[in-house]
Amino acid sequence: MESLTMGNLMFLAPEIAVVSTGLIILLIGVFMSPRTKNVLGYLATLGVLTALVLTVESFGTNAALFSGTISIDALSQFFKLVFLAVALIVSLAAIKYNENSDHTEEFYTLVLFATFGMMVVASANDLILLFCAFELASLATYALAGFEKQNARSLEGAMKYFIIGSVSAALMLFGISFVYGATGTTSIPAIAANPAILTGNPIGLVAIVLLIAGFGFKMALVPFHMWAPDTYQGSPSVVSALLAAGSKKMGFVAAFRVFILALAALQPDWQLAFTVLAVVTMTFGNVVAVSQTSVKRMLAYSSLAQAGYIAMAFVVMTPMALTGSIFYTLAHAFMKAGAFIAAAAVVWMVSSGKTDRLDIPDHLDNFKGLGKRMPFAALSMTIFVFALAGIPPTAGFMAKFVLFSSTIQAGMTWLAVIAILNSALSLFYYARLVKYMYFLPPEGQKIRMPFPYAAALLFAVAGVLAMGLWPEPFLQWAMEAAKVLV
Amino acid sequence: MLPVASLLILVPLIFAAVTFLTKTKGQAAGLGFTGSLATLGLAIYAYLNFESSTAAMQFFESMTWIPSLGVNYSVGIDGISMPLILLNAIVIPLLILYSWKEDRESPNRFYGLILTMEAAVIGVFVALDFVVFYIFWELTLIPLFFMVNIWGGEKRAHASYKFFIYTHVASLIMLLGIFGLFYASWQQTGIPTFGIRELIAQFQFFESGLLKDAIFLSIIFGFLAKLPTFPFHSWLPDAYTEAPTAGSVLFILLKIGGYGLFRISLPMLPNTGNPELMIMMLGMLGSFSILYGALVALRQKDLKRMIAYSSLSHMGYVILGAAGLVTLSVSGAMFQQFSHGLIMSILFMSAGAIQTSTGTRIINDLGGLAKKMPKLTVVMMVGFMASLGLPGLTGFIAEFLVLAFSYARLPGFVLIALLVIVITAAYHLWAMQRAMFGVYNEKLGDIRDINSMQVFSMAAIALLVLYFGLNPSPVLNMMISNSEAIVSLAAALGV
Repeated sequence: MESLTMGNLMFLAPEIAVVSTGLIILLIGVFMSPRTKNVLGYLATLGVLTALVLTVESFGTNAALFSGTISIDALSQFFKLVFLAVALIVSLAAIKYNENSDHTEEFYTLVLFATFGMMVVASANDLILLFCAFELASLATYALAGFEKQNARSLEGAMKYFIIGSVSAALMLFGISFVYGATGTTSIPAIAANPAILTGNPIGLVAIVLLIAGFGFKMALVPFHMWAPDTYQGSPSVVSALLAAGSKKMGFVAAFRVFILALAALQPDWQLAFTVLAVVTMTFGNVVAVSQTSVKRMLAYSSLAQAGYIAMAFVVMTPMALTGSIFYTLAHAFMKAGAFIAAAAVVWMVSSGKTDRLDIPDHLDNFKGLGKRMPFAALSMTIFVFALAGIPPTAGFMAKFVLFSSTIQAGMTWLAVIAILNSALSLFYYARLVKYMYFLPPEGQKIRMPFPYAAALLFAVAGVLAMGLWPEPFLQWAMEAAKVLV
Repeated sequence: MLPVASLLILVPLIFAAVTFLTKTKGQAAGLGFTGSLATLGLAIYAYLNFESSTAAMQFFESMTWIPSLGVNYSVGIDGISMPLILLNAIVIPLLILYSWKEDRESPNRFYGLILTMEAAVIGVFVALDFVVFYIFWELTLIPLFFMVNIWGGEKRAHASYKFFIYTHVASLIMLLGIFGLFYASWQQTGIPTFGIRELIAQFQFFESGLLKDAIFLSIIFGFLAKLPTFPFHSWLPDAYTEAPTAGSVLFILLKIGGYGLFRISLPMLPNTGNPELMIMMLGMLGSFSILYGALVALRQKDLKRMIAYSSLSHMGYVILGAAGLVTLSVSGAMFQQFSHGLIMSILFMSAGAIQTSTGTRIINDLGGLAKKMPKLTVVMMVGFMASLGLPGLTGFIAEFLVLAFSYARLPGFVLIALLVIVITAAYHLWAMQRAMFGVYNEKLGDIRDINSMQVFSMAAIALLVLYFGLNPSPVLNMMISNSEAIVSLAAALGV
């Protein structure tokens, strides 16, 4: 048993930065007036940025802490990068969202705690720790989803999210208990060390079913997706960004650790399940997205489809596929968070202008002529949706390029064909959004974009283009992360 | 020596970016024109320093880009790409002059998109790495999508979606083929590379004939749909017709499908599982496109739609000549791409001018335009004559080479194409006669002839059609050098 020293505590510097920022904000927020609380947003952004820099700096370190329950490796660091990038975008944009609000400190504390939970999930090497961190992140996001207490849609979304989330958490815990019952341990390496116990054991199968249901909820795989469209649409857009771009990836990293590392012995079983889930999820998401008129709902279904692509890693299971999938999570974080922030800017425009359709502020009609009303929001939204569709030279293209090509390498041409047809279908609804923004006449005045939204969008655009034009460092990191899994 | 290949992409791209930021029409058009002239200057510089007698790659540049996937930024120019680069570099400044006096919404976007398109198309022509190639290939979709949607005709939404999604799907299928090529080669050599020439060279060593056929067919599908050819052409008439004149001309300059055929598919063809079958398939698609395009063009009421189908018919020669697989038929096919780009630009510009003046494109609603639009009639006549294959103009050289030299291998299909010449002449002359000659249709009121800028740009293209029709060697020689390389490779394999 190693002793806990200042030295190895420094491995957790990013987490410490995030949590302490959250606590400081919670504390000093109490003594501030709503007007001065705007500064809390900048403080949160600074804390997240510090954690981001610390995470990037710590790439390449490997360590096990707290009796091996926490593992610092390339996989954990990569996913922390994903969560922190999303948290940065969200906290920047939320400066405007929380302007003159009395609840600013609560908002930021919840965002930071949720991010902290996700970060711990990324490095959890023990099922119980993983569960606790998962719940920490989930509870914080339940509260965030219902943050607009006066907004019925926000409450409805939060309620659905909370109820389905709680049931899923119970299922997950139940699954973990079966694994524990069979193997006598909750440590991931220890479970993996005894493959014979679980192979051919009905308990193993039951555990897999329960765990897939538990994680599938967070990853929003069909048929565990029912909450996602309502919650993404109803929640404040900045929170939807956190849910779709961040919290969803927590489901993936947890599933990577639990299925690929701990339950490697049962690979044929979960591989079959994920084959069906991935194909159904991407197809369902794309088909349903086509008929949406609410942009946030469309992004929610598109997010399902993207989760379907990412889940292809479980099907193909080659180093290349895992690299592609892990790369995809970061690309998707930038694209989807950016798209939701662009939607947030439009919702803000609509509610401050009071001229447009207010009943559904993110209705497609409100995007008419956005290219003239908010040129930067329209341009960045265009970049995000084309990236989501996989048009080069963006992050989305590179991600699909690596991921889809790996299916060819593994000889699964049928899967590549399904994925590619899906990708082509998605172009239809993404292009429609572009049509509304650029080809239809504007119905309102030109509006100056608030700085926080512009800054958040700029960061997301930079991420999307950097990963598309200069993917090498990101690919290297993703490859290192994938090596942890194989 | 300048890094011309990269500059040919960068210069229009930078000018495009600046043009997007301009506020007034004068600035936008001026910057757009300057950017396209700078590109033309670079293209002429490249041409003057170009060695026509060799098939070797010139102005080669290479840089590692994504080493973990074996992706390099490598570009170069040879006799296959040089004429097409020239074609784009020459026509685009003239296109900007043509549209100089048109008033339109957001001119900064209009000229910016034209230059973006030029950069993307030239990018495809110079790329020597599949990833670079594919990125520029897909990038060509976006300016055209915007172009059709912002300034297009009534059914622009339908046309642009159809074009965008149709060709995107085809490109994705091509991408699957590229993946197959990449991994099969990686498996054999142990070194990942996306280099176009390296992968084509490795292709012959693949063991499975089925794998080779699958790769070949999926890659060529992307090219055939872009070219386009019957039966993958259904996006073409809508997109060409609904696009604004400049958009139609940009579609015409988008010679990337045919280019891919020469750069990638033909060198692979002799190594496929069943080359004879592939040649027959291409010959059949070529001659059917020629026949189908001409027949449908014959009964079009809309002048622009007729020209669109005539374009489909003419692109059939490119496939037929490629399938002929002897030096001069392949050169003829390459020359057809060059010649078609010039001729069709005149035709679409004429149709655009007629629509602007008269407000209609329906052939039967026109009549006797020659009396009111004499200048247009002269240049348009040159275009139509070149298009139907009058000797002394470029169209004749290309079609003659294709028909004469493909006969050895594909006699049946050449005979079909020969018969179609009559139909081609018929629809061209008939349309000309109904629209331009005869009694003036007084219902059209008092109409104006094309402006001096338009006269200049269309006449300049018409003169080029005449010049290269009389003296094709400046571009034909380099095509012959490259065709020889392709054909000798095939001959060595007994195809």
